[in-house]
Amino acid sequence: MNIPALPSDGAEKWEVQLRKGSLELAILAALWEGPLYGLEILRNLQSGSDLVVVEGTVYPLLTRLRSLGLVSSEWVESDSGHPRKYYRLTDAGRGRVLAMARIWARFSRSMSSLLAPLSQENPRQQQPGRQPLTTEKP
Amino acid sequence: MNLTAESQKSVDAYLATLRKRLSDLKDDDVRDIVEEIRAHILDKTSADPSPAWVDATLAALGSPQQLALRYHTDELIQRAQRNHSPELVMRSILRWASLSLGGMAVFMLSGIGYCLGGVIFVMGLLKAFFPKQAGLNIDYNPGHSLSAGFGAGSGPHTGHDPLGLWLIPICLLLGGGILFVTFRFGLWTLRWFARPRRAPALAAVDE
Repeated sequence: MNIPALPSDGAEKWEVQLRKGSLELAILAALWEGPLYGLEILRNLQSGSDLVVVEGTVYPLLTRLRSLGLVSSEWVESDSGHPRKYYRLTDAGRGRVLAMARIWARFSRSMSSLLAPLSQENPRQQQPGRQPLTTEKP
Repeated sequence: MNLTAESQKSVDAYLATLRKRLSDLKDDDVRDIVEEIRAHILDKTSADPSPAWVDATLAALGSPQQLALRYHTDELIQRAQRNHSPELVMRSILRWASLSLGGMAVFMLSGIGYCLGGVIFVMGLLKAFFPKQAGLNIDYNPGHSLSAGFGAGSGPHTGHDPLGLWLIPICLLLGGGILFVTFRFGLWTLRWFARPRRAPALAAVDE
């Protein structure tokens, strides 16, 4: 019995949903080291992760995080001639991002363990009666 | 470096449209959002103020209508979830409907759902207060005609109401159920589909 491949469009949709769910955590994590303004957050996400972020999605999300009390914002004059709006984590935001990071790490470990048999470079065809998704050794 | 006159005009037009589309938010919030987007554009184009890069920067933000919709959708969904308000959900869907056919379809479906649920629910109430005037009305005249109706009139029924007072709980539950499902459907479609789509090639996160 072979494991049927997901249709590629189905896999792409799933990936988009997965990335969507990660963006809030990624933004909060980007602010962990200190205050950043919008474009710095975008560049941080693009250089520090595999996330390719639509720029117009980040600012409304930052506004939402602020209204949830997870970040605060402040306008700061800059050398570039215009003020920039800096975001920083609030205490609630620091607590939230720590909790999210713990959940992410635990989930990632369990999924990695579950998916280990699939990550071989030349996956063998599954033989009848063989359990493909277990890490238990006989 | 300064933008060319043509690019400055594009940026001003973009921000003016954004401001207009956000006009039903608080003035301070609108000012804050518009200034933040202006700062983003200026930062991104500071090293390369060429018209092509300015256009690319504006395109990367999405149209001002799409950007405003993201702010509105987020804000309204939050308020609707906090307040359990069907009105706020319908306002969001109406705004979405002004931008896309998908939004229009959801708006029409929601409208039908609320009207249908509302009529059935009200019929249950009318049956409770005016049992002889409201309800099903099946009028059978042997050898002549059969007519059936569902509604409320000023005078008593001339036909037979097979459900009688059972119509009250049936209408209240069915109507209330349709109203609830319509509300959840609106909230669900807003959360998952209202945000504008982007080209698949971008393969990007669209929160």
